[in-house]
Amino acid sequence: LVQSCGYITPESPVLAIGSNFTAWCILNESCLDYGNIYASQIIWKTKRSLVPKEQYREINRTVSSVTFNDTSTLATPLTCNILADGHLEQNIYGIDVRLGLPPEKPENLSCIVHQTSRSRFSMNCTWNPGRATFLDTEFWLRTRWPQETFNDCKAAVVNNSCLIPDVQFFVNLEVWVEAKNDLGMMESEHLLFDPVDMVKPLPPQNLSVTSGILPTVLKLSWENRIIPAEMELKFNILYKISDSPDWMEVPPEDTASTRTSFTVQGLKPYTEYVFLLRCMKRDGLGYWSDWSEEKSGVTIEDR
Amino acid sequence: QRHSQQDTRVQYERIGADVTMKCGAMDWDAAVTWTVNGSDIDESHLNGSYLVLRNVHLGHSGQYSCYEGSSWHLKYQTSLKVGTPPKEPVLMCRSNNYPKRFYCSWHLPSPTYIPNTFNISVIHGTREMVCEKEAVPKNRCHIRYLQLFSTVKYKVTLTVTNALGRNSTTITFDEFAIVKPDPPENVVAKPVPYSPRRLEVRWNNPSSWPDPESFPLKFFLRYRPLILDQWQHVELSDGTSHTITDAYAGKEYIIQVAAKDNDIGTWSDWSVAVHATPWTEEPKYLTTEAQAPETTTSSTSSFVPPPTTKICDQEKVVGS
Amino acid sequence: NTDEAGAGQSIQKTYDLTRYLEHQLRTLAGTYLNYLGPPFNEPDFNPPRMTRAEMVPSATVDFELWRSLNDNARLAANYRAYTHLLCYLRGMDGQVAKADLRKSLGHFCSSLQGLVVSIAGVMSSLGYPLPGSLGSTDPAWAHGPGPISPHNDFLKKMDDFWLLKELQTWLWRSAKDFNRLKKKVPPAAVTLRLEAQG
Repeated sequence: LVQSCGYITPESPVLAIGSNFTAWCILNESCLDYGNIYASQIIWKTKRSLVPKEQYREINRTVSSVTFNDTSTLATPLTCNILADGHLEQNIYGIDVRLGLPPEKPENLSCIVHQTSRSRFSMNCTWNPGRATFLDTEFWLRTRWPQETFNDCKAAVVNNSCLIPDVQFFVNLEVWVEAKNDLGMMESEHLLFDPVDMVKPLPPQNLSVTSGILPTVLKLSWENRIIPAEMELKFNILYKISDSPDWMEVPPEDTASTRTSFTVQGLKPYTEYVFLLRCMKRDGLGYWSDWSEEKSGVTIEDR
Repeated sequence: QRHSQQDTRVQYERIGADVTMKCGAMDWDAAVTWTVNGSDIDESHLNGSYLVLRNVHLGHSGQYSCYEGSSWHLKYQTSLKVGTPPKEPVLMCRSNNYPKRFYCSWHLPSPTYIPNTFNISVIHGTREMVCEKEAVPKNRCHIRYLQLFSTVKYKVTLTVTNALGRNSTTITFDEFAIVKPDPPENVVAKPVPYSPRRLEVRWNNPSSWPDPESFPLKFFLRYRPLILDQWQHVELSDGTSHTITDAYAGKEYIIQVAAKDNDIGTWSDWSVAVHATPWTEEPKYLTTEAQAPETTTSSTSSFVPPPTTKICDQEKVVGS
Repeated sequence: NTDEAGAGQSIQKTYDLTRYLEHQLRTLAGTYLNYLGPPFNEPDFNPPRMTRAEMVPSATVDFELWRSLNDNARLAANYRAYTHLLCYLRGMDGQVAKADLRKSLGHFCSSLQGLVVSIAGVMSSLGYPLPGSLGSTDPAWAHGPGPISPHNDFLKKMDDFWLLKELQTWLWRSAKDFNRLKKKVPPAAVTLRLEAQG
């Protein structure tokens, strides 16, 4: 009986939860003459529930509007229907309404540069994405130098982190996050830093422990996987008697510069000790590496 | 009475050669007398009036004179020098005061026992450069850098010539490859009061290095206690001092430093070695109170860590 | 931004970057020359400099001239050279068949771009204008890479050989340039000069 006799505007709107909303159902002139239908016969429904008449307004012969002061309760779809001949309900048109929230300002943006192998680094940035928006919201990590913008990094599904596979040192990088959905866009604070100051290096490798000619001494040697051209290092050395729970630490001021060995002294003769080692950038910027693999050694007998 | 008025002639012969000397214009069968350095030569060396020396060696070098038999007139005199032609010379160029100059020095792998003359040519691209000779050492000359940061190689050819032959060597090198500073100077190592495991080491840039500000040096320090053979090394990218923090308490150390331009060239030789022993506590005069037993009784006390080491709970440390 | 960090700090950072690049290039050049194969990867290979190689900005400079360069001229020379060297390098990058080598080249190009940005940052923090368009007196290379690489593959490799060598030498020169600048530009003095300019 009734072909497409009208339509609703706006078409598939995205609405902020709690905002107000008005939609219009516009009937085609052709239908008026043929179908003997008028805007006054329009009834609005959300899903299957009737919208109270007080929210209708007949704009003219062909147009009826409906207004919702608080979209929180607006179920979808919203349909425009006609009571044909007083009792037969006929759907004219319907729209899907998406409700959500604009993105909040991403907070607590922080980045860490992971050393993945010798002279290979990637940077992972994380942030607090803010409240749920109930809408498709994209998070883009943007990075740039003063005259060079880099490829943007689209956040993973979880929306609060991004991995940049290739990092350049010694040039200050501007980093920020943009959150965008149909209801708006928000930018995080802009960070400005040199990625070399955010490095978490790989721990030293090939740690070896050798006993010397003194019964109270063990010498640690290792290989650094960060080169001096990247950064100078400082170290943390922990050691304990192998069957003791108490770790002891070599005073950090004794291992505060780049090195590949250290002689630990003041040990008990003829005793097995276990050692752990980690490193970070000498000036304290960045992060400690993970601990190296444990290595043990035995002091010689006190003859 | 021997009359010895002759301008001295010099004659060079190779080791191992056979040498025949004529007595000037005298006939073969003339009666003559040969002397070497004033001593008569045995007749067995004569072939008529000719002097024949077989398979000469260095010992044959000397002043040879031939006198006419009856009148003792000097008829012939020569200074025989036995030697060898020069072998391929060993040539080395180095810059220990980059970027002012570089020098080339050379020597012969084996002596020739006769005078040699050296001629050096230094070509940089299409330009011939002057190699300023020095009085001492004789076998060295200096070349002033006219250009810096050149990708064109230097080509140095040394030709050595003596009476018995000539030889030459050519080397080519990049400007940066020959940069090798002199060792650091005034290396001093001192104990650090109240720190039984520390030694403070200081040194100066080599005085021959002209512009350490623009051409900073980095350093390599090696140290070991005399009781050990194995060195410990540490590379230092700036500064002219370092504190060793893991020295064996009370043990004498030997320390050396080397230098290198921060970007180019090779390491210097090691500096002069210096010795130092970390600070140790003065032995206390034992009074009755001080005689409390130092030794730990086996049953009760657990391991007492050295004063400078902090006890820490690994989780607290590892997790931080 | 860079200005606030002070010229001294940005010069130090640029110096660190120069040394980092020099280290990267040592590995990259070795790999690339091995990729080109003999004779290019032989230590004593010393080919003649073809005219095309003149198109690459040369680091060679008269000793006294280099010493007497003022800060602006010194920085401008670096800026101009790396801007052009980057163009050449990007040209190389596109024709490398091996993926990992191409990736390394790409990373290096980004680093070199970082150096251009850094030098520009230093110049602006010192109040110097970036080198503008080139005059006729500028060297051949200053007008950008010449005609597209020669049809002869060997000559193309030769160009690459000289480009890498020249780039390595430029990085050595820049390290010395920035050492001189570091010593001559204490941060305090610079801020006064900027304020004086109003």
